[in-house]
Amino acid sequence: MSNELKELEDILKITFSKDQVKEVRKVEEGHFDVLTTPDKAYDLMKILTEEAGIYHLSTVTAVEREKEFNVFYHIQHRIEEEFREVPINFIVTGISKDKPKTPSFVDFFVAADYYERECYDFFGIYFENHPFMQRLILPEKWPDDVRPMLKEYGWEELKEITLGIAKQISEND
Amino acid sequence: MVEETFRSRFRTEVDGSDAPPGADYHMFIGPQHPWCEEPAHFIIHLKGERVVEADIRIGFNFRGMEKAMEARTWRQNTMLIPRACGICSAVHQNIYVRVVERLAGIEDQISERARLIRMFSCEAERIHSHMLWYGILAHDAGFDTMLHISWRDREIIMDIVEDISGNRVNPALMLPGGVKRDLPKEKIDRTRPKLNDLIKKVEYHKKVFVEEASIRNRLEDVGVLTKNDAKKTTPNGPTGRASGLPFDIRKSYPYELYDQLDWNLVYYTEGDILATTLVRLDETLESLQMCNQILDKLETADGELLARVRPRIPAGEYFARAEAPRGEDVHYGIANGTDKPERYKIRAPSLGNIDATLKRMDGEYIADMPVILRSYDPCFSCTNRIMIVNDTTGEKMIIGQDEFAHKAIKAKKYNRPFF
Repeated sequence: MSNELKELEDILKITFSKDQVKEVRKVEEGHFDVLTTPDKAYDLMKILTEEAGIYHLSTVTAVEREKEFNVFYHIQHRIEEEFREVPINFIVTGISKDKPKTPSFVDFFVAADYYERECYDFFGIYFENHPFMQRLILPEKWPDDVRPMLKEYGWEELKEITLGIAKQISEND
Repeated sequence: MVEETFRSRFRTEVDGSDAPPGADYHMFIGPQHPWCEEPAHFIIHLKGERVVEADIRIGFNFRGMEKAMEARTWRQNTMLIPRACGICSAVHQNIYVRVVERLAGIEDQISERARLIRMFSCEAERIHSHMLWYGILAHDAGFDTMLHISWRDREIIMDIVEDISGNRVNPALMLPGGVKRDLPKEKIDRTRPKLNDLIKKVEYHKKVFVEEASIRNRLEDVGVLTKNDAKKTTPNGPTGRASGLPFDIRKSYPYELYDQLDWNLVYYTEGDILATTLVRLDETLESLQMCNQILDKLETADGELLARVRPRIPAGEYFARAEAPRGEDVHYGIANGTDKPERYKIRAPSLGNIDATLKRMDGEYIADMPVILRSYDPCFSCTNRIMIVNDTTGEKMIIGQDEFAHKAIKAKKYNRPFF
């Protein structure tokens, strides 16, 4: 067991069962990265929310790597007596690039609802068991297969699509 | 007791077909509406005069900033990032420069003086943002006198910001490695009496909100968000602190030099709109006394204002937060070894507060709607004028935007000064 995992367990006052966590990294004093895979993510988050009592989700970030997608859940462990917060980056790694899929955490955080939809909107990552997996921000007429935050789309290309939509709307009116 | 289930208020069908049972009237507000200065589409389901449920649709002002940042260098992004928000621009820039400094590994080279100037800029911003907010809140509650009083007094802090940075709402003082300009002794001496004057005025504002019955009755026991509901809907910043969640990132995870200042964490447990107002009023007073402390420290603090940062940032990633006037501001930056970011994520505080605010509306009167929706501080910017000050003679000139552009082109073309 690594020192970082032990330190995190001491702060959260829980123990993880064997092989549940892929890796724990310490970013700085009182700031951790917890790495996991899509198949174990749901159970691990269940332990963090129900046993350790974490309830605050700051945001969800999707990142496109060379061969996979990563989804970062930035959660805060809050210690109310000391007015202190321990930021934890809960990282779901190894999401395949063709048909990206990962479990949704709507069951644990109300806020996960719209943050996950934002990732779906920009990266096309599908969150399983999400009750309302629809677009959040992009316009209604935006083409379904274009996920603008992917590296394959450049700034100029997106500009053309946007101007195309505007032209189409003004012609229809 | 059966636990109440929550659903996010962002799940809204465009045609309003998902209206809750029991609602007999549906009100659509926005995206363009005189009440709300920024585009958001509120859908309010009513039964008689009471709100059954309020929903929202967003995305009308999407600018693609995260994508734009990937196409620019780290240095160029320093000037793009304050444009994320019209009012809280300094705090966005503050987190950005901290992310860059951490990735470049020069965190320990930032001098105390540079950090103090950054903090002064952030605190001054908090003061003017809060003063603007409670002015508009009073306006929404039908108490226009307070709007004019608070906005009149807000000019004092705006003048201070303009004096130290050259801009009214977008100071943009920070750079990776330090700050752009110094805060010299004569400016500190000029600022101190203004701050002390403002403290007296904000104390008077607080007295009005607490003692004046016509405004207090509009805010007290309206839109109560209990601590349990707050834990579920995860509000941040003043919205959370009014409901008894005592978390301020300056205290809970200190950045810059906030742990060296003497200040109190403000939080209330009532959860109504009056509590959010008082949180902001008390915070304004705290920020003012923090500004005074920072100025005291600046008299003796020294050090290089700007440390060198190489344009190529080594590969790495860092998650940083700061307490913006509206709440928790979150940035996540990933560098790949070139001079451009691989990915940069921004989460501004208002998005996290919308769910909690719409939860407040359940069962309230429709007449209280403007006050409740205002409570999370949807922000807007209003800078359409420029004042040019001649530093040597003290001459002032106020002109509009078009005139300024005209003059600037002429000045450049014929190589002559403005005055």
